[in-house]
Amino acid sequence: MRPLRHYARLLAVQMRTSLTLAVQYRFDFFLEGALALFWLAITLIPLLVVYSRRESVAGWSFPEALVVVGWFSVLKAVLDGGVTPSLNFVVEGVRKGTLDFILLKPADAQFLVSTARFEPWRILDFLGSIAVLAYAFHRLGRVPSVGDFMVGLALFGVALILLYSLWILVVSVSFRVVKVDNLSYLFISIFDAGRWPIDVFKGALRLIFTVVFPLALMTTYPAQALLGKLTSAHALLAGTGGLAFAAIARLVWKRALRAYTSASS
Amino acid sequence: MIRARKLCKTYRVHRRPPGLLAALRSVIRRRYEEVRALVDVSFDIAPGERVGFLGPNGAGKTTALKILSGLLYPTSGSVTVGDFVPQERRTEFLHMITLVMGQKQQLLWDLPPAETFAMNRALFDLPRREADATQQELVDLLEIGPLIGKPTRQLSLGERMKCELVAALLHRPKVLFLDEPTIGLDVSMQARVRDFIRRYNESTGASVLLTSHYMEDVAALCPRVIVIDKGHLIYDGDLRTLARRIRPEKRITMHFSSVPAPGDLDRLGNCVARSELQATLAVPAAQVTEAVRAALSRLPISDISVEDPPLEEIMQEFLDGQSANGGARSA
Ligand SMILES: Nc1ncnc2c1ncn2[C@@H]1O[C@H](COP(=O)(O)OP(=O)(O)O)[C@@H](O)[C@H]1O
Ligand SMILES: [Mg+2]
Repeated sequence: MRPLRHYARLLAVQMRTSLTLAVQYRFDFFLEGALALFWLAITLIPLLVVYSRRESVAGWSFPEALVVVGWFSVLKAVLDGGVTPSLNFVVEGVRKGTLDFILLKPADAQFLVSTARFEPWRILDFLGSIAVLAYAFHRLGRVPSVGDFMVGLALFGVALILLYSLWILVVSVSFRVVKVDNLSYLFISIFDAGRWPIDVFKGALRLIFTVVFPLALMTTYPAQALLGKLTSAHALLAGTGGLAFAAIARLVWKRALRAYTSASS
Repeated sequence: MIRARKLCKTYRVHRRPPGLLAALRSVIRRRYEEVRALVDVSFDIAPGERVGFLGPNGAGKTTALKILSGLLYPTSGSVTVGDFVPQERRTEFLHMITLVMGQKQQLLWDLPPAETFAMNRALFDLPRREADATQQELVDLLEIGPLIGKPTRQLSLGERMKCELVAALLHRPKVLFLDEPTIGLDVSMQARVRDFIRRYNESTGASVLLTSHYMEDVAALCPRVIVIDKGHLIYDGDLRTLARRIRPEKRITMHFSSVPAPGDLDRLGNCVARSELQATLAVPAAQVTEAVRAALSRLPISDISVEDPPLEEIMQEFLDGQSANGGARSA
């Protein structure tokens, strides 16, 4: 019980620190929150353009595709608010060598870097995305059944695990390739493809987005679950995939930590 | 407390050649260069001891401290600190040590030091009352009470270092690794940081291992020094003994009431500094009494003092001598 209490206390302190920082720069954060909402609106444009000519794309109607986009935006809000800030924190730590101080603390380093920073104002973004989802279901003229909703929620958990695991993999690479700015940019660019239902992609890309960088598991499958279109086999695949990724990420992280040689001073 | 045996650390550095074409080629065929940062370094440090690591830039001091604190794996050789192998980074081990680096800070830049203290208290899972008492004690000792509520970025370098020390000592470590803790500080701030470290050592019985390239800094704090040069341990012992061995001489500084005749001065010893009414002579230690007596009787002395030659100079001579005879070891 003691470790659990220790980590709960740590999480509380880390969140308080992020909040204190956020309050210091509240103007920036409000501005960024507003900008994020603006970008959310912008991301809808390609979808509107494509669907202005056609009724359905790869078997997805406009409101259905909107569910994917809404889901994608929810995830992106979580990514921007809870994951990317910590990523930047670690990358800077590796570059400046201040990650040393994290490694000298008697707590799991992965936990510490993962909870280092949050951007609380991203909650705006998150709420905006929920609104898009709600609108999509309004257009569809129905609501997900309780069962579908629960599966969707579970897959949301899987999606978070996947996102987080991929992120840990990126961080692990940053231990070796110190200049990782491009890497996080690449990560975000690839993630952007998640706004499209997986059926839009063909061949190799489709395989990559299912297995290597499992966007399908992160956005398409949960959206399908909400729409009541996901088979249980796929749901199982998503669950297993999430756990496998988490295990791999933990393993790679452990090895990377071993290889880490702090910046020379 | 600390035991290092035949410690070696070799960094493998990827060489990036200049020019785009060469850089592209190097992506395919990576060329590695080996930097031998530590070569067969062995030493023991007892509990409560204060030991200084001396050596020029790039000697391997930081590397040694990083290995001792578990941040780096040694390429070969073995280390134990207490009963622990640092690289395993066990919880008990991390509770026992601390590392302070003059060139890196753990204080959160945009927040007051008090926030970092709170963070460290949570990280080390310190009971509240105990942590309050320790923090208060350290803050009082360093006289930084009014500072810990100000954002770190508004503090001066010296103030920041004091706060770094508090952050690093809240968990009352038994072994202190201090990497250039006085770098960039002015002389009086250096002295205060040194004083604080000595008091912490004396009151808690913690071992202190400190690196610096300021000789005086180390001499004032550490009865024992370990000199490293190009990764080799070249001396382990008392600094004054080393100084006496390298330069068994004293400096006699004289002030005159009138300009002395030049011949009189030269007969007394080797003149290393000279102005109109002042002169400094280098005299073999054994002949100091005689030289002072002669000076007093022959020269128009208004003031006279006898000192050791500056440590920086001695160390330079020592290092030059070592590289002249191929880095041969002696201790
Ligand atoms: N992370 C690193 N990667 C490659 N070489 C390094 C690294 N850290 C230190 N070195 C090299 O190892 C040698 C010793 O460095 P260091 O231990 O920092 O010396 P000091 O602290 O005595 O100035 C230097 O030649 C330095 O360039
Ligand atoms: Mg150094």
